[in-house]
Amino acid sequence: MLRVSANKTESDIDINMIMGSEGESHSDIQYAHELMQFAGSLASRDESALKVARDELLSQAGPRVLVDAAGVAANFQRMVRIADAAGIPVDSNDNEISNQVRSDLDLYKFDQSA
Amino acid sequence: MTYFSYENSPYEIRDDIKDAHKKFWVSLSQAGNWWSGKERVAIAQEVRNANSCEFCRARKDALSPYTFMGEHSHSKNLPIVAVDAVHRIITDQHRITQQYVNNNVTTGLPYSHYVELIGIAVAVFSIDEFNRGLGIALETLPRPCQGDPDNYQPEQVVKDIAFVPMLPANGAKGAESDLWHKDQTANVLRALTLVPNALRDWKALSTAQYLSIEGMGNFIGQKDRAINRMQMELIAGRVSSYNECFY
Repeated sequence: MLRVSANKTESDIDINMIMGSEGESHSDIQYAHELMQFAGSLASRDESALKVARDELLSQAGPRVLVDAAGVAANFQRMVRIADAAGIPVDSNDNEISNQVRSDLDLYKFDQSA
Repeated sequence: MTYFSYENSPYEIRDDIKDAHKKFWVSLSQAGNWWSGKERVAIAQEVRNANSCEFCRARKDALSPYTFMGEHSHSKNLPIVAVDAVHRIITDQHRITQQYVNNNVTTGLPYSHYVELIGIAVAVFSIDEFNRGLGIALETLPRPCQGDPDNYQPEQVVKDIAFVPMLPANGAKGAESDLWHKDQTANVLRALTLVPNALRDWKALSTAQYLSIEGMGNFIGQKDRAINRMQMELIAGRVSSYNECFY
């Protein structure tokens, strides 16, 4: 979805950002670093890091961005659990963009990605 | 009692998020298809217990989670098989297997109950995570309503590619015709359809916290949001990578 959105808006991104790479520093995504830190600290349940990330996102981007970011992060904390608990497979491996993203992120090294 | 007023929040919370959270709390308190209101609220309590369960913490570090024995920290209001399912979904979800789900069927957690339990657990967890993300105290759980589950199950469910039976991709018909509007859909939408209201709850929360199904076709960004689609997907991808989610 990130790749599709970037293509649609002709934006420059490094897809490896979502794995925590430093590509965030040269992407076209506003507040990329702060959003990444916030999302990562929430998902990792590191409460002290979350407080720092929340304060940083708030100070750089403001409360509306913080609230919307919390909504999206909370939503995806749910989605992974639905997929894993119900045991659904990824829909299809014949999509070109999807395959490229999996390859870029080196996801095929994990058995669960099959 | 008024839930999710967010009066003590240092940040203004969008009305649609407040409404979605309130609406789910009402649903949570009422009897579902397979669990009573009291049991549904007990499942919600186990979501919170799981986050501080020492056994779950130790089991998550164990090489084999199915031979690691111990006792959960729990409220003793649900069968142990249900407690364990909730705790696993919250703390160690990516090691849930078909065999685990099948074994639970034989020890008192049929697919139908399990799917409704998943829907409750993930919704409560997501709402709690929203509050935790903002540093806001968790909402008080609702008082359960009286009433019995109606045991409703769609006739057209099939057991095919998932751990649990689901509606087929072309199965959103009759009473389920509101679930999606084509003869094909994504597996993640099918996942909870053994209990259609679980998907309805899923969609309502997702519409407020992320995007509606229709809104997912907009790759630029919605005017009522402070972050654009790339920012949303960056967050989604980062959270998913931490959770080892390949979906």
